[in-house]
Amino acid sequence: MTRRENILAGLKKVPPLPVASVRVLQRLQDPNVDLRELTGLIEYDTSLTTNILRLVNSAYFGAPRAIGSIHEAIVRLGTRTLSEVVISSAVGPITQVPIRGYDLPAGELWTHSAAVAIGARELSAALKTPEPKSLFTMALLHDIGKIVLGNFVEVDVAPILDLVNRERIPFEAAEQQVLGIDHAEVGAALLELWNLPPGIADVARWHHRPDELEGDRQAVDMVHVADILCLMSGIGTGIDGLNYRPSDGTVSRLGLSVHVCEAVIAKILNGVEALREMFVSAAGRVR
Amino acid sequence: MNHTVGIADMKVSTSREDVLVTYSLGSCVGLTLYDPVACVGGMVHCMLPLSTIDPVKAGNTPLMFTDTGVAATLQAVFNQGAERKRLIAKVAGGSAIMDDKGVFRIGERNYIILRKMLWKNNILIAAEDVGGTVARTMVLHMDTGRTSIKSGGVEKEL
Repeated sequence: MTRRENILAGLKKVPPLPVASVRVLQRLQDPNVDLRELTGLIEYDTSLTTNILRLVNSAYFGAPRAIGSIHEAIVRLGTRTLSEVVISSAVGPITQVPIRGYDLPAGELWTHSAAVAIGARELSAALKTPEPKSLFTMALLHDIGKIVLGNFVEVDVAPILDLVNRERIPFEAAEQQVLGIDHAEVGAALLELWNLPPGIADVARWHHRPDELEGDRQAVDMVHVADILCLMSGIGTGIDGLNYRPSDGTVSRLGLSVHVCEAVIAKILNGVEALREMFVSAAGRVR
Repeated sequence: MNHTVGIADMKVSTSREDVLVTYSLGSCVGLTLYDPVACVGGMVHCMLPLSTIDPVKAGNTPLMFTDTGVAATLQAVFNQGAERKRLIAKVAGGSAIMDDKGVFRIGERNYIILRKMLWKNNILIAAEDVGGTVARTMVLHMDTGRTSIKSGGVEKEL
């Protein structure tokens, strides 16, 4: 078995996302979803219900008046925010753990994921473009492959860094050379295994090489930029450092400027603090 | 005691037992100021070069910006009795993404503004570790003023 095959085979051992969350996310793709059906689906799962009520009342998603029921959450926040809350509650716990190979302490991958989600949304607003569908979810999941590949990177971190430094190639290209696969590809394979709505895996797959995605690149372009801005700002920056290459294609497709980049960075930090508190208290960890 | 300086944050100490540390300096800049005689030290971690891009934010979080963040840190160490002519300034950060062609050039600009702020205040940089594509951790030991940098698992004195 090649290393690549070995790594992909290991994906089956990763615990799946909670079934109820995935089912709710799939139903939320349907614009005509029946709200009573949705409410029933959520309330059937007590831990999902508790999580949703906790998150909708947190600082980031928080409504001005406290929300007491799932029905009220759907009516007041709408289905888009609901799907963000559901995916956050599913992804939060699995990204809280330390990611050893990438040198990310506990909580740091969650903070990075949340920061990129907030950054992508702020970028879309700053560029005055309609927000691509599922942008928040796509951004939140872009680095999920690191939870699996970290164990392999840990063993081979020396040759990977050596390639990066000697040949000036991006970190994910060095992962490909040494391990036969990179964290973006592993993430996409995992998301497909989890049966998430289509398109989400594509953004994870191409978030470092957006030009290679065939089809609409708006979402992947925004995640690509938000990821770079967060890494530059030191939010979830690990052993890979800033060893990634920005896409000129993305910069010109989005009409990106220094001013927009700085404005987005300025907005990310506050949002991150608000999102961080949701899970820091749950995990009992503060850094 | 260890004190962590977060992103867009500053700490000032007058205790020889303190250690000030800031993690993950990417394109952000970290500055340490140390007066060995008065035993006053300060550390700041700034994200963006100029406060003029967001005057509201600059009012609420001046430490986010290099221009207002450096000014605030200087004021804070002076308030604790540090003297300008004795201040030892050390700088880290200002990294960049690979092959940056312009729109992401924030690290370099952070560093330029930081130099300018120190120059305007007649303070020379005693040592620095800036640029490249690495993330750095910066540590100031208040007992001696020793400043160290960790990046890619390697630690060195600044």
